[in-house]
Order: sequence, then C-alpha cells, then structure tokens
Amino acid sequence: MGVSVDWYELLAMLMRYVFVAIGILILWRAFCWLRRDARAYKKEMRSLPDAGLIGEVVNLATGKSQPLPREGMMGSSRFCDIRLKGAGVRRCHALFALEEGKGLQVIPQRGSRVIMAGVELRGPAHALHGTELQLGNAVVKVRLFAGLKVPHPSQFQVDQSMYDEQEADAPWLEEIEDVPSPFGVTYAQEEAPRAPEAYQAADAGQQYPQQAQWQPSAPVIPQEEPEDDEAIPYQSPLPQRRRRSGR
Amino acid sequence: MKEKHRKKRRDPYRLLLSAVMLFYFLGFFMLGIKDGNWESFLLSLVVPAIIFVGTAGIPKLFPADKLLLSLTNFLCALGVLVLYRLSPQRGLSQAFNYGVGVGCMVLCTLVVRYWRHWKWATPLMMGASFFLLMLPLAIGTEKNGAQSWISLGGMSMQPSEIVKLALALSVSYLLSRRRVVLSILFAGVCLLILMLQKDLGTALLYYGVTLILLYAATGNKPLIGAGLLGGAGAAVVGYQMFAHVKRRVAIWLDPWADPSGAGYQIVQSLIAMVNGGVWGVGLGLGNASVIPEYYNDFIFSVILHEFGLIFGLIVLCMYMFIVIRGSMIARRSRTVFHALLAIGCTGLLALQTFVIIGGNIKLIPLTGVTLPFISYGGTSMVSSLCVIGLLQGVASRNEAGVDEDRALAMQGGELE
Repeated sequence: MGVSVDWYELLAMLMRYVFVAIGILILWRAFCWLRRDARAYKKEMRSLPDAGLIGEVVNLATGKSQPLPREGMMGSSRFCDIRLKGAGVRRCHALFALEEGKGLQVIPQRGSRVIMAGVELRGPAHALHGTELQLGNAVVKVRLFAGLKVPHPSQFQVDQSMYDEQEADAPWLEEIEDVPSPFGVTYAQEEAPRAPEAYQAADAGQQYPQQAQWQPSAPVIPQEEPEDDEAIPYQSPLPQRRRRSGR
Repeated sequence: MKEKHRKKRRDPYRLLLSAVMLFYFLGFFMLGIKDGNWESFLLSLVVPAIIFVGTAGIPKLFPADKLLLSLTNFLCALGVLVLYRLSPQRGLSQAFNYGVGVGCMVLCTLVVRYWRHWKWATPLMMGASFFLLMLPLAIGTEKNGAQSWISLGGMSMQPSEIVKLALALSVSYLLSRRRVVLSILFAGVCLLILMLQKDLGTALLYYGVTLILLYAATGNKPLIGAGLLGGAGAAVVGYQMFAHVKRRVAIWLDPWADPSGAGYQIVQSLIAMVNGGVWGVGLGLGNASVIPEYYNDFIFSVILHEFGLIFGLIVLCMYMFIVIRGSMIARRSRTVFHALLAIGCTGLLALQTFVIIGGNIKLIPLTGVTLPFISYGGTSMVSSLCVIGLLQGVASRNEAGVDEDRALAMQGGELE
C-alpha cells in the first residue's frame, strides 16, 4: 500500500504542521488543566481552613496555641513545626506523627528530655487529647480534633489509684457517642456521665493519668450517674484557638 | 443533562487525551503509508488504545493524577514512535518495555499509597542498594567508559537506575526523621561506588538529588554550600582521574577539532538539529540514524531533526509541566516524608532531563544518562515510570488526606 516517494514527501511536509498544532493543543490543554486544578485546590483549601492539621498545642505558660500538623518536629529551631521557647528546649527536641488508631506518637530526640503526663519518656509514646507534655521547661497540652481516628482517653483502663474521685469524672465522656476503634470494636458511650461542678476548678491544675497500656477489649470504666440532672458544659480554662482565615 | 454534557465537553482531560491519541494514530498511520507495512497500521490503532487504557483506566482503579499520566504516556509513546521509525525492532522492544514500566508504575503507586512500614524497609533498601551497586564492579561489563552494566540470563541491565528509586525513598525517609548524617553517609557511599564504576552521569544525578533533598529538609545553607564545594572537588578529581571524562570535556569545548573521530557523535547531532530547522524535515524523511547512539543518548536530536525546533520546545515544556505538577504534589503532601519523596522524584526527572538535553545541545559535557520516558532501554524506561509511580502514590495519599480533612470538617473540625 506504500505511496510514491514524492507523494509521501508532500504528505510528511504537510503533516509537520499538523503535529506541531496537535502538540500545541496538548500543551494548551495541559496548561488549562494545571491552572484549573490549582484554582480548584485553592478554593477547596479556603473551605477547609484546618486542612492538614489535627489539632493544636497549647503552651500552658503563655496560653498561646500553635496549629498541630500530622507530622513534624517540636523544638526551639525556627524550622520546627511546633516552636517552643524555654530553658532546656533543644533545637530539635522531639518528633511527632499521628498514628491512626494509636494517637500522636512523640519520639524524643537523643539527649532530649520529654515528660508525658508526668512520666519521662525513654522511647516513642502516644499522646492523646488532653495529654500534657513537658519539653525542657516548656509545658504544652495536646488538643486533638474530634473525629480523628485515635482512641479517646476514656477508652483506656487506667490505674484507679492515680485518680481521686473527682478526676475520675472525665468531662470528655460527655460528648462522645460512638468511638470507632482501630480494632473494629465500637465503644458504646450511651450514658455518658456528666462533669461534676468542681471540674472546671480542677482542670487548671489537673494531672492527667499516665498513658496506660492499650487494651482494646477493656471496657470503659463504668461511671456513676450524677444525681443532678442539669449538665454543666465543660469550658476549658485555656484560651480558645482562633481559626485561621485561609490556607 | 445539557449542563452535564457541556461540562464533559469543557473538561480539559478529554480533549487532551483525544489529542494525544490522534497524534499517535496519525504518526503510525503515516509510517504505514510510507512502508506499506501492516504492522504500522496495527500500531496506529494499538498505541492510542494503550494510551487510552493507561490514562483513563488506571485512575478508575485508584485515585491517580490524570495530567501526570497523560503527559507521561505522551512522552513514552513518542519514544516508541521515533524508535519504530528508525528501527522497527527497537520500537517494538520499547513498546514492550513501556508495558512492563506501566505495570511497575502501578506497583510503585500502590506501595506509596498503602505501605506504612518504612522504618524497617529503609535499612533493607539501603543494604540492597549497596549490593546492587557493587554488582557491576564484580560481574559487570564496561560500556562507553563506565562499568555500570550487568548481564543476567541474556538480559543486560543497569542497577544504578533501580537504586535511583531506593535513594529517593531512603534519603526522603531518613531526612523526614532528621537523620541527616545517616542520609549523607548513604548517598556518599553510593556516589563513591558510582565513581568506582566511572559512571559519572548517574553520580551527578544522585549528587544533585541528595543536595535538593537536603536543602528541602533542612534549609541549612552552610551544609548545602559545603555539599556544592565537595561536588566541585569531586568533579575536579574525576576529571583528573578518568581519561574518558577528560575526552568528553575536550569534545564539549571543541567538537570540530576532530569531527570524524572523537567529536563525530556531537557534530552529527548538531548537524541533525540544524538540518531539522524550525518545522523539522518531516516524519520518515530524516536521516538521523547516522548519529551514533541515536536511539539512546541522542534521541532528542532525532526528535528535533524530524519534528523541528518548535516541537522540541513542546517536548521540553511537557517535561516542565511534569516538574511543575510534581512540585504541586510535593506542596500538597500531608507528611514530611511524602513531600520529600515527591521533591526527590521531581528533582530526579528534572535533573536527568537537563543533563541529557544539555549534553545534546552542547550546553554541558555529554554524560551517559538517558532521556526519561523516550530513550531506548528497559531499565531506563521502567525506572522513569517507577519514579512517576512514586509521585502518583504521593498524589493519591494527598487525595486521601483531603478526603480526611473533608470528613473532619463535616464533623465540625472542632477540638474535642
């Protein structure tokens, strides 16, 4: 079916322009695509101001909060995701990363002193919502967004001796419905106890219980229903985090 | 219904894919008309069909970046077309490599998307990298002055192309864990082995990517300055130590000193490019096979010869778009590791393209690296597509991250 050389030459010479035109068309469409995608992503991010964040870290000394990304570094260096000032805070003090189903993994760097809920860490450990961390002299509290796939502090079987009666009445139990477990077990929180009146006062100086061993099958510690019917809403003594206008 | 139809019509993806398919239908059809060969006519249907399946089918299996897929498929098919026109046997072999590469790309995407145990996979990758890099020194064969090839069961391969992926993954992971010294040590040992192989082109790639990753991860300017000084020192040492490096630099400085001997390659390449002019000589009318290594190192010269300068610029823009897209993926990453991995992969592609095209147009001395996606070679094609697979995996993770953010926002996104 081959055509004569002259005819093919003519055809090939003509087709040069066609190939360039198609190439330009492909480039143009790719450019439009890139631009449209960049705009759509920007728009999406405007509607999701907390995109990429999982909560915040509140410095208990200053009351200032910093957004908490999924993964990063805590320390005094300006490259750190969570920048802390204070004696004993090293430039790169500890790594952190969200581990689904486990919590915020904190990995102290070599030679760095990290105290989690009163216990000095010798290796990686998981912080949950409300866990206090001490890095050098800086004390911060981790606050995680609701809806993250991490165990709720109430799902831990904790050493009762560490609680006094008042502290056992965890205020966070109040708002939980069903917490999905990483092991497929659903922890029903049908009748959550209500926070005692004195909780707000206690929260300021509260020592959070040591992070206990993860026991997926352990039931939530039964709490006694308080006698008064009026629920007292929990109000954190910490300043409310301001939402950022856009990312 | 009308609205939906209009939206579909305005979707840049559909028109882009149609244009890519049309390009290859016309290209192979013309070759069929020229030779009267049924194989070319068959390819004019099969190649667009493969592009359609590769670009539209893969995103149906898992979230993938369609733009990246479209551009990559265009460049891969361009390699098949150009090689088939000059040497049908090589063209068909390249088409097979392309198929294998797509499979590996999907595998890499899935690994990055779902694999989470990088902590213990990284030391394994590092060990395997050392082993693979040492193989050519033990059982390798020398080619163009570099002992970087090994032959296994009748097939020859370049282990450094595979280790490239391990380097990007390992260094990204180590730097995301702030193991800066360990990552420098790993890259340094790899570079040392490559220097022993005299494979300076690949060594340049490894060095460049490590430097880019170090800067992205630490922002430490004194460290980068020291790295640049070290690189310059290594280049001088390499120039003094290896005769073939001296020869290549001399050819680069004045290829016309010996146009029929040492400078033959680069001179023929320059003549072919100039001969192609702005619009090219036309598909099937060129005589680019006079360039030695036209299928490998000088394939960009062949493209400029047959399709012209404007089309050459279009190809360059496509690489640029891939790099821009890779950077966008890196910026959207949710974790440091994935961001660094995307930067590493993008840096690899950008550097490799710059080094080989710069060598072709006599901007820098010629090094023995391949043009990603287009040059002939199984290992090169597979590794380039694997790099795209890693990028696709990060893009897929980003997509999942946005979904998680949406879900969090639906629940109020408030603190507990």
